[in-house]
Amino acid sequence: MALAEASVPRRQVATYAVERPERRVGRMASRLFFLVLLAGVTVVFLAPLAWLVSASLKTRSQVFNGEWVPDPVMWSNYVDVWRAAPVLSWLQNSLVVGLLGAVAVTLSSAAVAFGFAYFRFRGRDVLFGLVLATMMLPGAVTMIPVYLIWNELGLVNTLVPLWAGNLFGSVFYVFLLRQFYLGLPRDLFDAARIDGANYLQMWWRVALPLTRTALIVVFVFEFKALWTDLLKPLIYLYDTALFTMPRGIKTLIDRFGQGGEMQWELVLAATTVLTVPLIALFFFAQRYFIEGIATTGTKG
Amino acid sequence: MDRHADDHEKGARVRRPLAALLLAASLGLATAQQMEASGALRVLGFGVPDEIASVRVERFEELYPDVELQLTEGAIDQQQLLTAIASGNPPEVVYLNRDDLSTYARRGALQPLDQCVEQAGIDMGQFRPAAVQPVTLDGTVYGVPEFNNIVLLIVNTAALEEAGMSLEDLDTSDWDAIARFNEQLTAVDGGNVTRFGFDPKLPEFFPLWVRANGGQLVSDDGRTALLDSPEAVEALEFAVGLHEAAGGRGPFIAFRDTWDFFGANNQVAANQVGAWPMEQWYVNVLVESSPDAPVAFAPFRDRRGNVLSFATGSAWAIPTGAANPDAACAFMAAMTHQDTWYAAAQERARLRAESGTTYTGTYTGNLAADERIFGELVQPSGNEAFDRGVEVILEVQDAAFSIPANPAGAEVRQAWTDAVNRVLNGEQSAAEALAQAQQEAQSALDEAWER
Amino acid sequence: MGAVAQGALRARPAAGPSGLRRAEARAGWAFIAPWAVGCLVFTAVPMVTSLYLSFTEYDVLRPPRPVGLENYRDMLVDPRLRLALWNSFFYTALYVPLSVALALGLALLLERVTRAAGFFRTAFYVPSLTPTVAVGALFLWVLNPSVGILNRALALFGVDGPGWTTDPAWIKPGLVVMSLWSLGGTIVILYAALKNVPRDLYEAARIEGASGWAEFRHVTLPMISGAVFFVLIVNTIAALQVFDEVYTMYFGQMDSGAGSSAALFYVVYLFRQAFEFLNMGYASAMAWLLFVVILVITLVQLRVSRRWVYYEGR
Repeated sequence: MALAEASVPRRQVATYAVERPERRVGRMASRLFFLVLLAGVTVVFLAPLAWLVSASLKTRSQVFNGEWVPDPVMWSNYVDVWRAAPVLSWLQNSLVVGLLGAVAVTLSSAAVAFGFAYFRFRGRDVLFGLVLATMMLPGAVTMIPVYLIWNELGLVNTLVPLWAGNLFGSVFYVFLLRQFYLGLPRDLFDAARIDGANYLQMWWRVALPLTRTALIVVFVFEFKALWTDLLKPLIYLYDTALFTMPRGIKTLIDRFGQGGEMQWELVLAATTVLTVPLIALFFFAQRYFIEGIATTGTKG
Repeated sequence: MDRHADDHEKGARVRRPLAALLLAASLGLATAQQMEASGALRVLGFGVPDEIASVRVERFEELYPDVELQLTEGAIDQQQLLTAIASGNPPEVVYLNRDDLSTYARRGALQPLDQCVEQAGIDMGQFRPAAVQPVTLDGTVYGVPEFNNIVLLIVNTAALEEAGMSLEDLDTSDWDAIARFNEQLTAVDGGNVTRFGFDPKLPEFFPLWVRANGGQLVSDDGRTALLDSPEAVEALEFAVGLHEAAGGRGPFIAFRDTWDFFGANNQVAANQVGAWPMEQWYVNVLVESSPDAPVAFAPFRDRRGNVLSFATGSAWAIPTGAANPDAACAFMAAMTHQDTWYAAAQERARLRAESGTTYTGTYTGNLAADERIFGELVQPSGNEAFDRGVEVILEVQDAAFSIPANPAGAEVRQAWTDAVNRVLNGEQSAAEALAQAQQEAQSALDEAWER
Repeated sequence: MGAVAQGALRARPAAGPSGLRRAEARAGWAFIAPWAVGCLVFTAVPMVTSLYLSFTEYDVLRPPRPVGLENYRDMLVDPRLRLALWNSFFYTALYVPLSVALALGLALLLERVTRAAGFFRTAFYVPSLTPTVAVGALFLWVLNPSVGILNRALALFGVDGPGWTTDPAWIKPGLVVMSLWSLGGTIVILYAALKNVPRDLYEAARIEGASGWAEFRHVTLPMISGAVFFVLIVNTIAALQVFDEVYTMYFGQMDSGAGSSAALFYVVYLFRQAFEFLNMGYASAMAWLLFVVILVITLVQLRVSRRWVYYEGR
């Protein structure tokens, strides 16, 4: 993890005088105390998720009985949800949107970021200032006209508006990736140019591989954002079979929740199906997630 | 569920009017005029949840094999419908709440159906007046009604007995009697409600209470909002006041959320409620899930003692710019024809008989269909309570009112719904809340009529 | 770090024949093209359109009708708009300080248990991965006054939990509790910032006899102030625009009544006006008001940060 670690100053080893035993016990006690405290907070944090999974496996009348372990364990709830709604389609749609959108934004943002980082041309910094300024724009301002644009193009009620905007890069990721590119020594690129590479090859073969970690961070973040987005499918899709998972779950809540057929165990099962892949993705890509967030904080 | 006609049939494009007529005659559609219809037909907002729906759809497909029918699954909400209509490529037929229809019609989102009605021979006179009123704006018909859900009183007789009262004592024309009944039967155990006496079903049934009190929410011509009339304020105060017995709306809702509404241990069977006005489809639910529950049905009455009910339902309409209005028209005509209704009801009756439960009827909104269904298919089941229930529902069909068609339906409804909620939450008094709602509703109406 | 790195890529001034310069400029523009086009199509043009629409009455079904300042005048007298603004402000004012304080507290705790920190940090972060719709659905029941686990837990301590989802006075606090559950991201940022504080500063402080609290005030806080302000600003902007969870829980077909006033947040109301009532003109005006509000609040925060934030070497 060369790039990120380069920015963290190495800790200096403290030298202490020999410790007295009482002090040592005191320190251990205080550490134990903090561990217990943290463990308690962790339980609080994870309790709702535990309840989610547990409740999704209960019978309808038991959902709110307050027991942590379902008895009987209704694996059939997950099967029933599959039958009650086009959950498979929803998952597929979410996957398509997530992958297409994440790949699109990663590549396009990387290109744009590289443009701002490496090349020298007039107006570059002013333009970049403009990029920064647009970060402050609330989505609500452009939401309606963008909807009208897609409407004109006849692409409402398709998946296209949900991801195609990502083909043009995203200011947040451009900002992030530019930081990484700026950390690369210019000689590398000059050497590549001398070897006869054109600008595109320079970017593709030199810059991208070197910032691989950052790219994965961007991909992972955008995938998460697309996987969980509710607003775009809400305003663009009316054909149930085209819904993404979050939109589908909203439908399930409306249909099976209060005022509907009151089959909360199905709603909770679907919610679990929505959440688990993301958590699984996290465990595989943990370092990218954590690093990505940490970096935005320190470099922001 | 997507239904597609065979591709090669679509390619063939052979018109078979004679064959179709013969088919129609053999299916008993003597009065229908068979239209020429083919091509794609997208229907939005109509799920196919049961045999009442699927049988009718099948009949349409038999009549018009050249039409490629595409149904989008599941009911949709207003926002989805608007998106679809605004998209420039709307579906051919939409299925929506009758009360919302005039809003879309006024904005020009729906096509007038006069031509369609003539061509397809739809007899608008067959539909119940309360069903036709919301789909008619300025004398033009914009929708074909389907279903007529009315409201009746559902009573938990076990609770009645406990209170030493009889069904006659619970006369909803006497609001003091309602209050007394509510007081007596509401049971609270240490902060938790264990039974609620009389649930006024707010905010949904606010129009019912206002009407019972002699007022109405919107003028008949649909131009003036009357939300802050003294009758409305009084009605709201009374209905909200019923919650006080349980300690307010909060405890009541928390309690209501725990009801097993659609299950065998529903709030009637479990003695959790005394009585409440409810849409008639719940009678069906009760007969299926708890046929032995101690229940009785009675008509709701206004304060003058007349039978009163509140009608809602759906309607079919054709969006402006739909690509295949002929097929759309044929579809709507077929779906709401009395023969189609009858066939669907026959199927349901058969299924019910097979499973040993009672068929309590289907309220189609089409008078002719209703007469045949209830005359021929619905038999006394021996379960007195439910038989009486069926009688009540029929009795009440024509005493039902609906909110007059107006072009700001959604906003008006939002205005009084929010007002009722504000009062229920204790944020405002009834007079204040309704005054605010009146302002909002009237300005929405004015703007809508201006366009 | 950033300054040095920037120098690396920009080390040499643009030398060589002007043809090379022009080629480089052209290539630069080529790389930036996607953003430039996208910015034009999806940002610049929509911004202008949105501003234009805010002066019209438009329901998509018919052409826009210019009405001058009417939308803005209506906003001034619309009681629901004021309610929406108030709801969003209240929620933001309650949530942001709490979230930063709590995240900082937890990050400090993480610091104390150096080796196990990674595990706990993961535990805190995982909830924030839950999709917003799922959070809404989940907390509708976690917060339920009679059967939800929150009130059940409170009951263990003898506390009679309030009506988080049924009592209008407690709906926003309930939403704050829900949002605090997703603190993970903030904790990660602050924890990283804490780890970045040079140890020798603590050494120096200890040698001078500083107590724990003084250490915190004079060493820790200033050194992480950059991250703290970043988190404050980002969380404020996000809190003012919250939509998914609130809409899932209290709106759509789920008009539960209790939330119809108390949970009417600004973007929810905007969405309603735009896509449920088709008042696109009015909704556009609302969007611009939101923009101005966010701009002002962020500028104020930036100005304050300039006074209080300590940047090493700047």
